[in-house]
Amino acid sequence: MTDKILIALKSIAKNKNRNFLTMLGIIIGIASVICILAIGDGFTHTVTKGMGSHNVKNKVILQWEPTSDYNTDGGFTQNDASALSKVPGVDHVKLTSSVVEAGAKAQYKTKNVSMSLNKQPKHLKLIKGTYFTMTGASNGVYISEDLAHKLFKENAINRLISIDGTVFVVQGIYRVNDMTEYRPDAYVSKTIFKELFANQISKDRAKLYISSDANKKQVGKTAVKRMKKMGEQKNTGRYVVSNPDQISKQFTKIMNDITYFIAFIAGISLLIAGIGVMNVMYITVSERRKEIGIRRAFGATSSDIRNQFLIESVVLCVIGGIIGIIFGYLFVSIINAFLPFKAVITPYAIILSLSVSTAVGLIFGFIPSNKAAKSELVGLLKEE
Amino acid sequence: MLKVTNVGKTYGKFTALENINLEVADGEFLAIMGPSGSGKSTLINILGLLDQSYTGEYLLEGKSYKDVNDNELSQIRGDQLGFVFQNFKLLTTYSVYENIEIPLIYSKKEQNKKHELVADVIQKVGLDGKEKNLPSELSGGQQQRVAIARAIVNRPKLIIADEPTGALDSKTSKEIMEIFTKLNKAGTTIIMVTHDSEVADYAMRTVYIRDGRLYNDEKSVKNHD
Repeated sequence: MTDKILIALKSIAKNKNRNFLTMLGIIIGIASVICILAIGDGFTHTVTKGMGSHNVKNKVILQWEPTSDYNTDGGFTQNDASALSKVPGVDHVKLTSSVVEAGAKAQYKTKNVSMSLNKQPKHLKLIKGTYFTMTGASNGVYISEDLAHKLFKENAINRLISIDGTVFVVQGIYRVNDMTEYRPDAYVSKTIFKELFANQISKDRAKLYISSDANKKQVGKTAVKRMKKMGEQKNTGRYVVSNPDQISKQFTKIMNDITYFIAFIAGISLLIAGIGVMNVMYITVSERRKEIGIRRAFGATSSDIRNQFLIESVVLCVIGGIIGIIFGYLFVSIINAFLPFKAVITPYAIILSLSVSTAVGLIFGFIPSNKAAKSELVGLLKEE
Repeated sequence: MLKVTNVGKTYGKFTALENINLEVADGEFLAIMGPSGSGKSTLINILGLLDQSYTGEYLLEGKSYKDVNDNELSQIRGDQLGFVFQNFKLLTTYSVYENIEIPLIYSKKEQNKKHELVADVIQKVGLDGKEKNLPSELSGGQQQRVAIARAIVNRPKLIIADEPTGALDSKTSKEIMEIFTKLNKAGTTIIMVTHDSEVADYAMRTVYIRDGRLYNDEKSVKNHD
């Protein structure tokens, strides 16, 4: 086998330019396959990793969805929670919210404005004032530039505003770039937010923690049934089981479909490359009729000859494949500088690329190799 | 060694060989002479198992290979026969060593002694030091020595030579024929096609072929001592 690979390498090296041009198709095809798979794998990996936190096995999440666009406030009440905790298989229930901000009314002198607010983040860049973490029941507030414009004509710092009846002192103003980030209209201290506003956020999500032997699907079904019957806000909304597992699965499937589709396109480019390989192998076989004759006269069987040319075709494609993988690797490093996620080259992608190159070599080398193997010996020996 | 009975060969309406009867003993050195187009090459293609489409019977060492499969035929060619051609038929991009090695690549015998076998025949044909040269760097005589080395490397019982001196001058032809004589003395059977009677004189026996028919099957009186 080593002998035969060496013979193949030698013969490929003899016609470097011709063979390099033939390989070019394979190189481009394989480099694209590597890039496509790396982007696809990287994307799928990032997305499914992001969803990973939801994939808790012993939890059923019930979601309340408003049926009308006008009345979106609603969700689960404490009574609903205690009703849900009595569903067979449920251990305990926790109500949460899909949104984290509270809605409120801000007032300055005679001006009234609807606004959203949240507890202050760790870091915030201000355009006016200084930022610090407020402790205890501090009545400071940071407001957006937009809200400041709505409420005040001039300087807003240190002015007093009323939010849902409580008085706050404006400590600083921040700018929100609508294009790249989302921020509520105001931030208050963590303690104040919890005491005054958090309970206003409607609890539209109920997490049912189930016992280990309970059937997740069954619990979900029973819980939805029970809420339909006795949920306190059944008239303004409906209850559904939210299934992040399912979403993640569907997403991965779509991603895979896209990957396969683009891989199919890469396949077409490899098909064209394969036809190039076939062409060059036909030329090689007809140029080397004398060699075939000599080898046959000195003991080579027709399958030895077929294998020799098949190996040559495979070696040609695998060299192209390896160069393609190297180029693919370079391209992936380059595009990684521009992608919002990291494209990854998996061992699977490399194995697939090498298998594809080998397959192209075998498939497109077969007919010319067979032609070489079946040529009539006496005719071959007449060649000069 | 071999026995040919009523062998014939036609290409369409053209009769290339007709009613050939020939027997060659072990250790014999036979020359086949005849003008071009007489059927010499057709006959030795049959004798060398290169051409299997003929009528009549051909036994090599008492066995007919007419209906054996390609693998067996290739193995017999590789192990028992050695070919020397007029135009040397060397692979031009392969070194002297690599050309001589070819029959060993396909042979099943003595795989681990390849290097020694090649070194031995290189010495026998007087090409020491030329192992790494390409055929294009050698003279005609040297190229034919490479071809002879390739033919004998697998130690065949029968060497078939088609005009081995056809492309060589008379001095070089003599050197080549001396190699053949030596091989024959060492026990190898040789069948050689030639149209040069001086070359044919090296053989023990000469047969003549004309228009596909064999004539004058007389023992040569040449003494081989």
